[in-house]
Amino acid sequence: MEGVEVIELKKSYGRRKALAGISLRAKPGKVTVILGPNGAGKTTLIRSLMTLIFPDSGQVRILGRDPFRHKEVFNRVGYVQELPNLPPFMSGRELLEFSARIKGVPREEVDHVLELVDMRENANRKIAKYSKGMTQRIALAEALLGEPDVLVMDEPNVGTDPVLNLRLRQELEKRKREGTSILISTHELEEVKRLGDEVYFLFNGKLFFKGTVEELVLRFLGVRVVVETCDRESLLGVLKRLDYVMEVKESGNRFLIRLSSDKREEFLRELVLNEVRVRGFFLDQSLEEAYEAAVREAVRA
Amino acid sequence: MIGELIVYEMRRSVARKKVVSLILITVVFEVGIYVALSQVRSPRIEELISPIQPILWLVGVLLPQSLLLHFITISISSGSMSEEYEQGTVDFFLTKAITRLKFGIGKLLGGFILVSLIYILMVILAITFSSLLFGSQEYLNFLPGLILTVLFSSLTFFSIAFMVGELVRRSSLAFLISSSVLIGSILVGAVLVFVARLTGDDLYNVIAIALPSWGATELPFLYAGGIPNASLIVQALEIFPAVPGTQIDAVILTIGYSGIALIISFVSLLTRDIPKRIA
Repeated sequence: MEGVEVIELKKSYGRRKALAGISLRAKPGKVTVILGPNGAGKTTLIRSLMTLIFPDSGQVRILGRDPFRHKEVFNRVGYVQELPNLPPFMSGRELLEFSARIKGVPREEVDHVLELVDMRENANRKIAKYSKGMTQRIALAEALLGEPDVLVMDEPNVGTDPVLNLRLRQELEKRKREGTSILISTHELEEVKRLGDEVYFLFNGKLFFKGTVEELVLRFLGVRVVVETCDRESLLGVLKRLDYVMEVKESGNRFLIRLSSDKREEFLRELVLNEVRVRGFFLDQSLEEAYEAAVREAVRA
Repeated sequence: MIGELIVYEMRRSVARKKVVSLILITVVFEVGIYVALSQVRSPRIEELISPIQPILWLVGVLLPQSLLLHFITISISSGSMSEEYEQGTVDFFLTKAITRLKFGIGKLLGGFILVSLIYILMVILAITFSSLLFGSQEYLNFLPGLILTVLFSSLTFFSIAFMVGELVRRSSLAFLISSSVLIGSILVGAVLVFVARLTGDDLYNVIAIALPSWGATELPFLYAGGIPNASLIVQALEIFPAVPGTQIDAVILTIGYSGIALIISFVSLLTRDIPKRIA
C-alpha cells in the first residue's frame, strides 16, 4: 500500500510510554487526522515517521519504503514542523531554492509556491525578520514544493490568518483530489471537520479511537438532531411518546434532541406522520463537544 | 548534496556575531603586530629584528596558531551541531533526503573549510604586511607546509568542539567546555613541564605531550624550527618551548584526538533522537 503506514509503533522515554503500539494508515487521496490532547503522542508519532526519533519497535512505511533506510523517499514528502524553525540567516527564497535543489525540483516552482502562500513580495527578506505567520507561510510553501505524494503536517494552522487557512484548505483539497496522502496533526477542529476523512484519536500514547469525523461524533456524543419548528406543542407531544428520545433542549424555535441510537430516519418519519410543521432538520455534529467527551472517556478508561 | 551543506554551514557560521568578532580580533592582532614592530624603533628592537627581518612573515603565520585560531576553530565547531539543535533547524535538514551521516560530514567539512579560509586570509595579511613594512621576505617555500601543519593541528580542537557540541547540544556550554579543555590543557601542560624540570622526571613531560593542547599547538612550531634563523620567533610564540616532543608525536596525537572525537560525534549523531527545539 502506498501513502503512509505505521505498524505497531512503540516508543518509551524511561518508564513513560510515548507510543504504545500505534498503527495508522494515511491513504492516497485522503486526509488523515491525528487528534488528541497534549502529550497524547501525536508529535512523537510524526517525528518517528519523519526519522527524527528512533522508535523502540514497530515499522514505518512511506510510499512503501522504510524511510530510515531509504531517505530518498523524502524527495516525495512535504513536511511542516510544529512551529517551523528555519535557518534565520537565509531569505525565504534562498531557503526554497535550497530545498528545491535538494529535492531535485525545478527552480521555477519556487515562484509558484511563493505565490500560493502570498509571499512573493517578502521572499527576499531574511527569515529572522519574518513574523511568526510569515515563517509559517514559508514552511508551508516549502512543504508544497515539488508536488509531493505525501504531506505530513504538524499543526499547520498555528500562526496563520483566516485567508491563509482558506488557501491552505483549498490547496489541500486540490492535492487530495490529485491523490496525495495527507497526514495532519492538529487541534483546529474546524479544519478537521472540513477536511478530515479519517481520524485517529490518541491518548497517552495509545490509539483510543479510529474512524470518520461523523463516527467520532456519534461514538462520543451520540446522535443529536436539531429540529426547527414553530409547532412547539405538536413536536413536544411526539417527543413524549418516543422512548428513544433521551434529552431535549429548547432554544427559541430550535430544539436540540439527543437520541439513544441512530434512529434519525424513524424520528423524521414520526414527525411527518404526526404533521409537525418542520422548517429545519439536521444532524448536530459538534466536533468540539465530541472531542471533549472523547477526552473525558479516555481519562476514565 | 554535501556541497550544498558545506556552503550552508559556511554561511551559517559567518552569520554569527561571535565568529565574526573573533575573526576581526585576529585580523587586528595580525595587522597590529606588524604596525607595532615597524613603528616602535628602539635600538634594542632594531638589533633584535634586524637578523629576522626577511622572515618576519613567520610571525603573522604562527601568531594565530598559538591561541586565537584555536578559539575561532572552537567557536565555529562547537556551534556547528549544537546551534542546529537549539534553533530546531536540524529538523529541516533531516526530514529531507539527507542522511544523518551526510549532514554531519557536510557540517564538518563546511566548518573546517571556513577555518582554513580564515587562516589563509591571515597568512595573506601576514605576507602582505611583512613585505610592505619590512621589505622582501625569504624562505617562503616553507609556507605551504606550514599552512598544512597549522590546519592539520587545528583539527584536534575542531573535532573536540564538534563532539562536545553534538553531545551537549547547547552552544554556549559546548563553547565553554571546549575552551576550558584548551586552556586547562595548556595550563596543566605548563605545570607538568615545570614539575619535570624541577624533579628531572621525564614522565611529566610525556604526560604534557599526551595532552590535547601539545600536539594541537606545537606541530607548526616544530615544523617552523627548520627555517633558518626562525628560532627567536618560534621561541617567542610557542606555548610549550621546553617539551622535547617530535613532529611524529604531534601528528599521532592530533590524529588520535581528532579521530576519537569524530567517532564519538558520529555515533551520537547517528543513534540519538532529535528532540524538539531545546532553547
